[in-house]
Amino acid sequence: MEGPGVVWYLGLAAFLFGTGAFGVLVRRNPLIVLLSLEIMLNGANLALIAFARHSASAAGQIFALSVMAVAAAEVCVGLGLVVAIHRRKIALDVDALSELRG
Amino acid sequence: MIPGAWICLTAPLVGTALILLGGTRISRGTAAWVGTTSVFVAFAGALWSFFGLWAHGSDNGQISSAWTWLQVGGFKADVSVIVDPLSTMMMLIVSGVGALIVLYSVGYMDGDDEERRYFAYITFFVFSMLMLVESGNMLLLLVGWGLVGLSSYLLIGFWHERESAVAAAKKAFIMNAFGDATMALALFVLIAHSNSLEYSTAFATAGHLSQTTVDLVALGLLGGAVAKSAQVPLHTWLPDAMEGPTPVSALIHAATMVTAGVYLLARLNPIFQDAKNVALLAAALGAITLLMAGLIALVQTDIKRVIAYSTMSQIGYMFMAVGVGAYSNGMFHLMTHAFFKALLFMTAGLVIHAISDEQDIRKLRGVGAVMPWTRWAFLIGALALVGVPAFAGFFSKDPILAADLHDHWYGVTFWICGLIGTFLTGLYTFRLYFIVFPGEPSAFVREHHHRHHGREGALTMLVPVGVLTVLAAIGGWIQFQPFWEPITHWLSSVAATTPDATATNWDDLVSSLIAPALGIAGIVVAWLIWGKERIAVPKLPAVQRVLEHKFYFDELYDEIFYKPAVAAANIFRRDFEEPVVITSGNDIGEGALEVGQATQRIQTGLLRTYVLAFGVGTAVIAVILLVVR
Repeated sequence: MEGPGVVWYLGLAAFLFGTGAFGVLVRRNPLIVLLSLEIMLNGANLALIAFARHSASAAGQIFALSVMAVAAAEVCVGLGLVVAIHRRKIALDVDALSELRG
Repeated sequence: MIPGAWICLTAPLVGTALILLGGTRISRGTAAWVGTTSVFVAFAGALWSFFGLWAHGSDNGQISSAWTWLQVGGFKADVSVIVDPLSTMMMLIVSGVGALIVLYSVGYMDGDDEERRYFAYITFFVFSMLMLVESGNMLLLLVGWGLVGLSSYLLIGFWHERESAVAAAKKAFIMNAFGDATMALALFVLIAHSNSLEYSTAFATAGHLSQTTVDLVALGLLGGAVAKSAQVPLHTWLPDAMEGPTPVSALIHAATMVTAGVYLLARLNPIFQDAKNVALLAAALGAITLLMAGLIALVQTDIKRVIAYSTMSQIGYMFMAVGVGAYSNGMFHLMTHAFFKALLFMTAGLVIHAISDEQDIRKLRGVGAVMPWTRWAFLIGALALVGVPAFAGFFSKDPILAADLHDHWYGVTFWICGLIGTFLTGLYTFRLYFIVFPGEPSAFVREHHHRHHGREGALTMLVPVGVLTVLAAIGGWIQFQPFWEPITHWLSSVAATTPDATATNWDDLVSSLIAPALGIAGIVVAWLIWGKERIAVPKLPAVQRVLEHKFYFDELYDEIFYKPAVAAANIFRRDFEEPVVITSGNDIGEGALEVGQATQRIQTGLLRTYVLAFGVGTAVIAVILLVVR
């Protein structure tokens, strides 16, 4: 079966990654930031799987699977933090959450 | 016979482990008896392997390997024990005399605050010594050698709150470590040439090496032997080692550890036969030591130190024997010496124990009146030491002299030294006896003699003394050269006497007549001077000063090693440590602080700046990688 070439997949992956990165940089709501992070991760996953298909090796797929597992864990922790911050009646704004500065 | 050897080796180690693991959960008495039992079990193992070998015939020695301990390239060393005439003889002496002495310690150490620690140490010592004599290759021999030094250090410094004991322990350890180092160097040379430390390979290799190499190997081994056996010039630790408890002095510094050097020379005799000059050097050092120690013993006032110097002197005889090649004579003297010297130390211990831990012979006058049995036991030990006919020393010392007399002009020189030594032995031993035992008890003795263990000592102390008294009296009858020589035959397969040192009947006759005569002459002179006080002690202030300073060896080593080291340390402290090391500490701290303050501003706390920095950084690295490729 002949599908689109690997370049197309990589282009889509780069687009997803760029969208996510843009979201992380410009949005201030932690929920949206987390969402954008997920998009970045999925862009990376897409690139991994595309390369795996291209080079006919399973390593990239396995790597993508573990990235998914890590992403799931990361979302749990991130959402947990968001809920915890919200419960303490603190504004959900990543710029305001800067107490760790030097 | 093989299982016997393994039991003999491991039983004391099991004893140590039980006492250490038991800790304070077991009573002091239990710890003492666990230790004693373990050493008696070791003795039973030694008997088993001895009689097993006897049944097989003495030339059927075997090496039994438990497992491969280390393997590097072609070099391989097993954990193995050797069961041959020499090792079984040493096993019997070490575990037999050791068991008696540990039993004696039960009474001697009773009531000490740290009895458990003592018994853990002493069983560990017995294990180390058995490891040394049973080791199936030279690497294990070196391990045993080092462990013996360690346990000796622990036991000398047993009363660690006493500053002098700690100093003495350190001194012994350093001197011994020096010997360990020279021995290790010798083994390295052997490994370099034969890639093996098995006895048989090493002996075969030694025959093919150049004379210089063999001499170097033998010299390194001799260094170890001299340090462990307290011969000149590495002898200064032994008198100080008397700081340890008296049973320790009896076990380590008389019966077993210090004879390790003699064992080494006998065990490795093929190497020393290839390096005849080094062997003769050993004999010469022995001759010098026996004269020097005999002279120093004449002016000592501490009961244990007199016996310690006498030990050095007797080991000098053994070195003289194994140096010229009369191995069985040396080993025989080692055995009888273990009996009578352990006896002398134990009787001295009885006196010290009964008279409030006093060791100064000038205060102990007339002890014999309050402790008659101790007096007789000491007398028998002293007669055996001097070599009066019918007692043990007579049978073992005179053949050594005869063997020396037979061996060229240098042998005759050693022979003369040995004879002078016999006279000195009679003199200093009976100086001690006549000062301490006969006559009216001094006021000090009357006042301090206490009887909480009966008149002379606890039963556990008296039984070993009794056994050793019998052995010191009749233990020498086992061999009477040239008529009856079972020990020489027993050892002939591993350490046969060289032709040069095989005495003729004439040599034996002359030596057996002159040596005891001189010994008895020494006793008579001692009796005239200190017993009857007929003649005064000759007044020779210069000689006396030299002897009291022990020929200035300690002072010499102070000047050569200690003081330059201290001076160098002071210079480095003043010119390097204080200006550089100490001040640089603050500078480094301040520098780190400044850097931290400068970089603090990067940390904004804004998530987006971090992400941006991270992204830009990754991009830069990616570009660099692409460009470089």
